[in-house]
Amino acid sequence: MRNRRHVAAVMAVLLAVTVSLAGCGGDAGSDGEAQGGEPIRIGAVLSLSGTYSGLGTPEKQAIELEVERINDSGGIDGRPLQVVFEDDATDPAKAVAAATRLIERENVVAVIGATGTGQTMALRDECVRAQIPVVSMAGGSVVTDDFSEWVFQTPWPNRIVVPFTLEQLAERGLTRVGVISDSGGYGADGHAIIVAEAAGAGVEIVADETFNPGDTDMTAQLTKIRGAEPDAVLMWNAGKEAAIVAQNMAQLGFDVPLVGSPGNGRVEFIDGAGDAAEGFRFAAGKILVPEAYGDDVEAYDVATGFIERFTERYDKAPDIFAGHAYDAIWVVADALDRLEGDIDPVALRDAIEQTSGLVGVGGTFTYAPNDHNGLSTSELVFYRIENGTWVLDE
Amino acid sequence: MDSAELLQFAIAGLKSGSIYALVALGFSLVYGSTGIINFAQGEFFMLGGMLSVFFRDAGMPLPVAGVSAIVVTGLVGLAFERFLLRPRRDAGPLVLIIITIGGSMVIKSLARHAFGGNELSLPMFSSGASVMVAGAAVERQALWMWGLTALAVVALTVVHARTRFGRAMRACSLSHDAARLMGIDTAKVVMVSFGLAAALGALGGFVVTPLTQTSFDVGARIGLKGFAGAILGGLGNPLGAVVGGLALGLLESLSIAFISSTYKDAISLVVLLAMLFIRPQGLLGRASREKV
Repeated sequence: MRNRRHVAAVMAVLLAVTVSLAGCGGDAGSDGEAQGGEPIRIGAVLSLSGTYSGLGTPEKQAIELEVERINDSGGIDGRPLQVVFEDDATDPAKAVAAATRLIERENVVAVIGATGTGQTMALRDECVRAQIPVVSMAGGSVVTDDFSEWVFQTPWPNRIVVPFTLEQLAERGLTRVGVISDSGGYGADGHAIIVAEAAGAGVEIVADETFNPGDTDMTAQLTKIRGAEPDAVLMWNAGKEAAIVAQNMAQLGFDVPLVGSPGNGRVEFIDGAGDAAEGFRFAAGKILVPEAYGDDVEAYDVATGFIERFTERYDKAPDIFAGHAYDAIWVVADALDRLEGDIDPVALRDAIEQTSGLVGVGGTFTYAPNDHNGLSTSELVFYRIENGTWVLDE
Repeated sequence: MDSAELLQFAIAGLKSGSIYALVALGFSLVYGSTGIINFAQGEFFMLGGMLSVFFRDAGMPLPVAGVSAIVVTGLVGLAFERFLLRPRRDAGPLVLIIITIGGSMVIKSLARHAFGGNELSLPMFSSGASVMVAGAAVERQALWMWGLTALAVVALTVVHARTRFGRAMRACSLSHDAARLMGIDTAKVVMVSFGLAAALGALGGFVVTPLTQTSFDVGARIGLKGFAGAILGGLGNPLGAVVGGLALGLLESLSIAFISSTYKDAISLVVLLAMLFIRPQGLLGRASREKV
């Protein structure tokens, strides 16, 4: 009996540890300097662990940085912004649970998130039901194609990026393409558009393979693609598996150009793939090489200001995901600023939809009742990785 | 499809397969001595990779960091058995299996807090271009993976077949009571088999991290693959675990070659299920009636 009690005690301690660890997700960050008003609470569902942790982490950093800046300059009509962060662990089911918690327990007026397409699609039903506006940082077309009046999007969706990328391939004479894509939300979304748009862009798909999030070796898929003798490999995913694909190609001695998606525009890809990252090309917005914005334009000042603040705080330059988060928090803050009277989610949704000419990092945002993305190919440039950094590929 | 290409698929399969084999071997060892499935096996794999990165960042040379990670993970395995499972060892297999699931969650959460949520990487053990074999490329890290896996398997087989302790392990796998009557310290055998299983998992985590990076949440997926490999080969049979792990890797890679990469995981599961229907004891497992 004594033994049994002993074990019960151990199990109770373990349970307590697990529960308390699990409960660590919802820390309220960014207490503002702005005084004299009750904080305006915004929820953020980010992938801070799992396949998309490399995307969610800079997003959180950018949001914290900008919220602090907004609050330091007086908040919204004297009320500070307060962002409550939740980690969805790159899991759609956890994204739903996180959104529910934010809405039911934290009484947020808007949800920023999620990081990924699959997670965004999972949590939006919950937000639509509760009538809370969502500003997603995921690049799947489905986020705004499968239209909901409550859902907005800050990245360039695949329906803009894929045709642009195919056009760049055709221009470079890379017309026989082997496709490898992630079977998850963003990869599958991009894959469908690649298949639909390739012929129109004059690109032929000679091989078409997938991998699953979390897979650790893609040499078998790449061997199959190599057998089809493509001019280039087009990879569509946003997770850490991209670095494995690049490395596997180098290991196989399969030396055709590898072209990716905006989801690969992060330092972890370069670190993870090492020498295999050299020559990798992808389309994305202009934040990685700010000269692309052009001189003397507001966008250049906005982006370089953000880059300067971010670099000073975190000792590294912001990537495109930090940029999407910058845009998301400012879309919400700008709408809140335009609101007169009480702040409620319905009025806030209307205000977000009226966003017009908001100059952000990923582009200039003008939403409309039938367009909750508001970006075009003019916001995109083509990059190449050279000596471990991004250069424009012209 | 020419022969070089076929060979390339086989190499890809054997590469994943050797890792599945190491994890499967861990499942098999624990099952052999206790009759339970240790669902924390994947977490030992994760700890091996994470601790190697941690020790290397602390300034140790790569081989020392790897060995330290394997030893520390082995100690975690010993402690896991001693403090979580032994107090309830008479409670029946179901309770013990659930304890291993709980333990795996604790290890995973602690690893996340200790090492963070991001992916971490190690350099390749030896640099240089891939080795070409009959037109197929074999990266140097894969040679390390196969070499170290083979070494571990051979060492374990020798221990199992030739030493006093190996005989004790085999005795435990037949009957705990009889082994105890023969003067074997069965509690020690069980604890050491957990330690060995943990160390094998850690070895897998260490050799694979340069190729794939690692993070706190890689354990569950690899645990599942290793478990499938162990079932395929025959639970409780060390050689079966190795054969099963390699077969699973080959199966996945050949599904990509001849069918579709989208269904590779589904195909391996279907084969696993078919196997359980046709030959429940696994490829190399003994039918249970022989034990009587």
